[in-house]
Amino acid sequence: MITWNVFAGFAVPAVVLWGMGAWMAWRSRPLSSVVLTVVGTMLFAVFIMGLWDSLERPPLRTMGETRLWYSFFMPIAGLLTYARWRYKWVLSFSTLMAAVFIGINLLKPEIHSKALMPALQSPWFAPHVIVYMFAYALLGATVLLALWMLYRGSDLEIEMVDNLVNVGVVFLTIGMLFGAIWAKEAWGHYWSWDPKETWAAITWMLYLLYIHRRYAAPKQIRPVLWLLLFAFLCLQMCWWGINYLPAAQGSSIHTYNIN
Amino acid sequence: MWQKPWTTKEGLTIGAGLVGIGLLLQYTLGPIDWELFAFPINTVVLILVLLAVGVGYALHTQFYWIRFLMTGSAAVASLGYVAFFTLLMGLIPQLADSSSDEELGMTRMLSFWPFVLVYLWMTYIVGLLTIRFLWRLVTGKRYALFTSLSHGGLFLALLCGTLGSADMKRLTLTTKVGQPEWRAQDPKGQVVELPLAIQLHEFRMDEYPMQALLVDNQSGQVVDETADWEIRMVRQLDCAAPMVQDTLQVDYVQWLSVGAASAAYVEAVHQPSGKQVEGWISCGSFAFPYQGLKLDEHYSVVMPEREPKRFVSAVSVYTQSGYTINDTILVNRPLSVEGWKIYQLSYDERLGRWSDLSVFELVRDPWLPAVYVGIGLLLIGVIGLFFSHEKQGGATR
Repeated sequence: MITWNVFAGFAVPAVVLWGMGAWMAWRSRPLSSVVLTVVGTMLFAVFIMGLWDSLERPPLRTMGETRLWYSFFMPIAGLLTYARWRYKWVLSFSTLMAAVFIGINLLKPEIHSKALMPALQSPWFAPHVIVYMFAYALLGATVLLALWMLYRGSDLEIEMVDNLVNVGVVFLTIGMLFGAIWAKEAWGHYWSWDPKETWAAITWMLYLLYIHRRYAAPKQIRPVLWLLLFAFLCLQMCWWGINYLPAAQGSSIHTYNIN
Repeated sequence: MWQKPWTTKEGLTIGAGLVGIGLLLQYTLGPIDWELFAFPINTVVLILVLLAVGVGYALHTQFYWIRFLMTGSAAVASLGYVAFFTLLMGLIPQLADSSSDEELGMTRMLSFWPFVLVYLWMTYIVGLLTIRFLWRLVTGKRYALFTSLSHGGLFLALLCGTLGSADMKRLTLTTKVGQPEWRAQDPKGQVVELPLAIQLHEFRMDEYPMQALLVDNQSGQVVDETADWEIRMVRQLDCAAPMVQDTLQVDYVQWLSVGAASAAYVEAVHQPSGKQVEGWISCGSFAFPYQGLKLDEHYSVVMPEREPKRFVSAVSVYTQSGYTINDTILVNRPLSVEGWKIYQLSYDERLGRWSDLSVFELVRDPWLPAVYVGIGLLLIGVIGLFFSHEKQGGATR
């Protein structure tokens, strides 16, 4: 039976495999790199499926569980980016990010609550959260790129940032609209300006701002890089920050993990 | 400033002007009362906005400022203002009631004039762009398909969602087993008579299995499985009542009646020493107290309140036209009857699973189909953009 007790037994080998894949990318051996990353991801997928089975519900409810998906999608997003553009650094980044979230899950699991409350028992639950986590993973990658470009004073990677943001926004939009349709079924309205919804709107608009700014002033790179960093901060606020935000205390129907 | 071509700077100035006008209106007229927009006013406003967009586009060759609104710079400026005010909304605690007379009005952002004006400005731009992209599409530029779908979908959803909110009705209705009920309450507590009646036959609450948790006697916190005690529930009674035995010990017996509590007989073994403690634990109910089992000076075993798994209301709905609908209403599975959606909202929380009443929310939103069309178009638009990304990226430059 696969439970959180055996998490380290899956996660540590997965991180090692991802790390070896990332190393192979630096050594310019794309085939080994892809194979190692895929095997690591499959190992991680086995854990998620086993946990899904043993919990008898999709593991998407607690913060620890959403981090699990983030760790899962990071290497996939990295692999797709690597396969498409062959950036050597991208797998190192995705491995690092996945490892950080795995580390948090090992040290501070936040996994105690097992029950899935009625409001979350819906076919929309899994796609809504999974699509969002994939978007978060892609947009997380843009942060590292933006920091790198700001540090180096380089503009070369901007096309890659554009691609990642475009795909990230597509998934952000799908996640938000799925959420709206689900909210209509569960809460009676598709948009209630709940703090989580408000922050999702803020995040979405800031990334739309990036896209339109890139179109309006393609030569001015610096400001949009800062915008990306700010947008990702707001994304964190939407993801978990509102649990601690005074303006959202007691008013959000989205805070499932603390009660 | 104001030398053509205008840039984001001019766009930001236009936005500042709108915010200024908004503040003036806020101080003179007070916050926006969305209830005034109820049908037919909202339909008139919708037609006016559509006309303004259509006429605006038709005249764009003659007026520079309309052409400017369709540039990326204007999009950036309006999005910037919209994001800024939404950010304020996210940071300032929002009040539900209208009793507040707080000066700036930003605790009720949805009625705050500057907020609404910058959203209207952005919506107008999105409307103009929708026509532009549609025009490009009909003149043979196929890449404009998904851009026009995404912009058009957003335009429709924003406009109809906002205008339709005045026509949306959200009522709560409390039913008791066996009695038909047709009087609901609106958010202000006014009684509204409905064109339909709901009769509750049964309210049922399914719960997750019982749990036995090890807690620290001092802090009351749940202790990890790493503690040395191994706990087994050897007997579980879903519906039980405590009975005081001759020995003055409390025993739990099967008791199938209102107020029954869940109880379990647990055996706890201290692994290193082999010491064994056994006894009853119970989460209690409104009728009976909770019962824990003390293991030693450090730890106790308790049963947390069982978490609800499902709320089910079996109902009959009678409509004025003479129909009777027999169905069950669950969370995430509302019942649709003659334009109303009926949601499971609440129950008598004091009685828990013994509740003999069920509270429903009834929602009517005549503008919902238009909003859903908008959401659908936006979805198709972004998915299309995803699959045609490279071409699209090249085409917009």
